[in-house]
Amino acid sequence: MTGITHTTALWYASRATGVVALLLLTAVLLLGILVNRQGRLPGLPSFAVTGLHRNVSLLAVAFLAIHVITAIVDPYVTIGLAAAVLPFSSGYKPFWLGLGAISLDLMAALILTSLARARMSRRAWRGIHWLAYAAWPLAVGHSLGSSSDTRSGLVLSLLVGCVLAVAFAVAWRLSRAREIPRASRAAAVLSRMPARKADL
Amino acid sequence: MTDSLTLPAAAPAGGTPRPAGLPRLLPAAGTVPVDLRAHLGRHGPLHYTGGPGRLVAEVAAAGLTGRGGAAFPVARKLAAAAEARQAPLVAGNGAESEPASSKDRSLLWISPHLVLDGLQLTAEAAGSGSAVLYVQRNERLHGRLAQAIAERAAAGIDAVRVDLVPAPDRFLAGQESALTSRLTGKPALPAYRPVRGLPRLAPGRPALVQNVETLAHLALIARYGGSWFRLAGTEEEPGSMLATLHLADGRTNVTEVPLGIGLAGLLGLDPAAAGPGGDIVPSAGGPVQAVLVGGYHGAWLPAAEAARLPLANAALRPLGAAVGAGVVAALPADRCGLAETARVARYLALESAGQCGPCFNGLPRIAAAMDHLAGPRPDQRARADLERWAGLVTGRGACHHPDGSVRFIRSALRVFAAEAGLHERGRCTGTDPRPFLPLPAGRPLSDADWS
Repeated sequence: MTGITHTTALWYASRATGVVALLLLTAVLLLGILVNRQGRLPGLPSFAVTGLHRNVSLLAVAFLAIHVITAIVDPYVTIGLAAAVLPFSSGYKPFWLGLGAISLDLMAALILTSLARARMSRRAWRGIHWLAYAAWPLAVGHSLGSSSDTRSGLVLSLLVGCVLAVAFAVAWRLSRAREIPRASRAAAVLSRMPARKADL
Repeated sequence: MTDSLTLPAAAPAGGTPRPAGLPRLLPAAGTVPVDLRAHLGRHGPLHYTGGPGRLVAEVAAAGLTGRGGAAFPVARKLAAAAEARQAPLVAGNGAESEPASSKDRSLLWISPHLVLDGLQLTAEAAGSGSAVLYVQRNERLHGRLAQAIAERAAAGIDAVRVDLVPAPDRFLAGQESALTSRLTGKPALPAYRPVRGLPRLAPGRPALVQNVETLAHLALIARYGGSWFRLAGTEEEPGSMLATLHLADGRTNVTEVPLGIGLAGLLGLDPAAAGPGGDIVPSAGGPVQAVLVGGYHGAWLPAAEAARLPLANAALRPLGAAVGAGVVAALPADRCGLAETARVARYLALESAGQCGPCFNGLPRIAAAMDHLAGPRPDQRARADLERWAGLVTGRGACHHPDGSVRFIRSALRVFAAEAGLHERGRCTGTDPRPFLPLPAGRPLSDADWS
């Protein structure tokens, strides 16, 4: 690696934000699985997990936006604006960038439908939200294929950690697949609350 | 049914075209329930207007608002229904799933023909060919209504067919979206729905839903006119309404009152005779510490403050309260307001439809914290935790259940703040441990309850 100059700054920024975005997206997926199975995080009420899922996903979007914009603006390789959203239309590594473009499009669908959730049916929103399970592996594939950073060292071990964490979370989700009936959900939560000692 | 009916003494002149004074919806005296002959004898025959939309102007002049709790202008709904590309299904909502309210079933039991008149007129105004009456599961009440519908069919009064649909016995089953869901054969669960326009049973099939008391007022406005309707009530909130009163001595009354009536007069509060400090106000039923206005999605007010207020949204809304469906309860001085709120909070949490995470996770946690606060020596952080969690669930449900529940609990934290301070020091002013606010008997909850 050479030093960061004004010509390479964008390239470094794009690579760094890409890694951070992938870590954040992994966190979003893990939190999403936790929300779906009504799981808890130590020290947080379970409804705050929903808020965390939402907020971390917005943070991931910010990093993703910088990652994509810096890659487009960077003169080192030419990736057009179209290639960022149209799969396999890039001149540079069309397949691996195509995976990233599909992933980006799916994430845009997830975010837009979540913003419009109050205006659409629950079933439609849920159906589209299932696409998260496609968007994340595509993003991982894009990271592995389009960047040499991810094939060795610290970044590779981070990536392996993310894959293991997601695999574990999906297994956990499947093991908790039995849904609590709607009518008893509040009662189930209430029964987990500590009881008060005695009356005054 | 209610323990008794309080009917104001002023008797209307029987048989006159425009009866003066109250009650309008309930009979002043005589046989209860009112049969078809007595109903027609008092109010005269039902005159149809002769076409869709013709009632809208009169209802707009009357300024009638929905009596189910939301106080939405009825004329706007009627106009939307008349303009809809496809005629909506008309539904009278008598689910009355609020445990503290009994005005709708009282009205349906005592004056069913006023409600059925209103349903016919609404169906005509909407250009609709059929109507349903959605009424809480109660065999006697359903039997009575079926008999009233049969009486009208025999007399050839009704222009459209009316079907009775039983409403599930759950708190949220009376929500408009739960009703429309039930009418399409699905469970009576509340749903997301666009803010604007009529609710839809299916694409292109709108529904026009009105509370049964609203329908009864409509039947009288069609007969006597909008300016007659405005003889009662205030300029901003005209007309009368049925209120369910829970007096400090434990009695429950359903009574018809003009909107804007003073809460002091309604509950027999005597603020002039309040003791030092003035926070306990004597009433006909005994000393009162706080007043709950608007039911379990409503708000507590200190008794002294309530005694200065009218039963009108213009005065109540700035204080975080609302007229709602007309439930007013006077909490006796010897009960613990925190314990009462904790009982209701637990009920509200268990009545979550279990659809939205913030609601079915948040409300039980809030209810548990409220119960903790109602107990001895609660944690000093309990109140701050409650406020924080309340903020986290507000506005996060498909329906307004979390918002309404949290409004009720937050008002208790304000009004019973001194009591919470006492609890933290291991004391409580409540000496009577018996529950005051009515709640249905605890029962195992099942998804089948919703259908």
